[in-house]
Amino acid sequence: MSLILPQRHLSRRQLLKLSGISSLGLLLNGCESTLFSETVGHLFEPLNQSLGQLLLSQQPVPEFPVSAIEPDKLIINTFDFTPNIDPVQFRLKIDGEVNHPLELSMADIRKLPLTSMVIRHICVEGWAAIVQWGGVRLRDLVALVKPKPNVRYVYFVSADGYYESWDLASALHPQTLMAYAKNGHPLTADNGAPIRVASPIKLGYKQSKWVTQIKLVSKLLPNQGYWEDQGYEWFGGL
Amino acid sequence: MPKVKSTPRQAFLAKTFHWLNIISVTLMITSGLEIYNANPVFGGRNGWDIPPLLLLGGWLAGGRHWHFAAMWLFALNLLWYGIYILVTSRWRHRFMSKRDLKALSLSTNPQRYNYAWHRLVYTAIIPVLLMAILSGLAMYKPAQFHWLSSLFGSWQVLRTVHFLSVPTLILFTIIHYSLALKVGSFRLIKSMFF
Repeated sequence: MSLILPQRHLSRRQLLKLSGISSLGLLLNGCESTLFSETVGHLFEPLNQSLGQLLLSQQPVPEFPVSAIEPDKLIINTFDFTPNIDPVQFRLKIDGEVNHPLELSMADIRKLPLTSMVIRHICVEGWAAIVQWGGVRLRDLVALVKPKPNVRYVYFVSADGYYESWDLASALHPQTLMAYAKNGHPLTADNGAPIRVASPIKLGYKQSKWVTQIKLVSKLLPNQGYWEDQGYEWFGGL
Repeated sequence: MPKVKSTPRQAFLAKTFHWLNIISVTLMITSGLEIYNANPVFGGRNGWDIPPLLLLGGWLAGGRHWHFAAMWLFALNLLWYGIYILVTSRWRHRFMSKRDLKALSLSTNPQRYNYAWHRLVYTAIIPVLLMAILSGLAMYKPAQFHWLSSLFGSWQVLRTVHFLSVPTLILFTIIHYSLALKVGSFRLIKSMFF
């Protein structure tokens, strides 16, 4: 598995996190509070994940009218830097435990059926924005590479070193897109150009930008996702 | 002969609910405020942060871990209590009734008048607790409970309604405590715990 590991620059969020933890140390029970929260997370994540999986259906989530789009509300969040990718040179690699691994150019991807959806993008931080995404259904791409029957998870590797893993059911949801358009315009670099994940059923941190590789696998690896490996929940379902 | 200073007695299950509710609400509020700070409901990233002394979890992920663990205790405690008061008919005898409303407008007995207020206030907190669950669920699973989320109109309204549980519950605690003190002095308050 050749997952690109993130470079350990100190991002704004990490800095905030570290400063939060160290200032809590000033309190008598500060460190314990953070320590306990990890234990509480481990104890309840299986239950909460079962609830998420129980609620997950392959029915599309109701969409919003185009008039409801909130162009100013989508905040740009990046863990490190914004890669500038040449869309002509770009290739999306889809491989892993599949019978027909593929490398697709943006021109190849644009030839596949376009799906457009107006959904609410929800960040783990609490804010949300109604966004129109245009792109190809991930399930269509998965069908092209003919996955082996034991595939259970999907990894997304990004050009900035970000990495994510999803359960297969969520990846095959009809509104899980590999998007190349936002609000009727081509995706910009800030929003993940040339291609990114977009879906109404997962939190924002699951929706990788600048995706260069989609890897279908049968087992979760120790590295489950950039934020997950810092302590965030893995399923992140909405 | 009526005893003047008899100690009031509360049902064991009522005391159990009261304890678990206080514990779970405290966990929900402190972890909820930790989540609040990741992107303040009022003002977003430029908004005012809640001081760390009132927070639980250490950072956003920790706050979420606590919040989505304590939610089970909070919601299930309220659920069994709801079944309990329905089955035992406590809801008819122990909560606000028409007689309390009558006492509020007509009673000249200050004890009866305060008691009516006391019952009205602790009855009114039940819908607040239910609204905290409904607005929370609408934000936690907005795709699967789309119908529930859309009832709130916008996301900002939904976040605001959910957040308002915090000041409402804090205000309630103060009023509830002082009314209980007026109605039955400290003996009544003690009886609800021990």
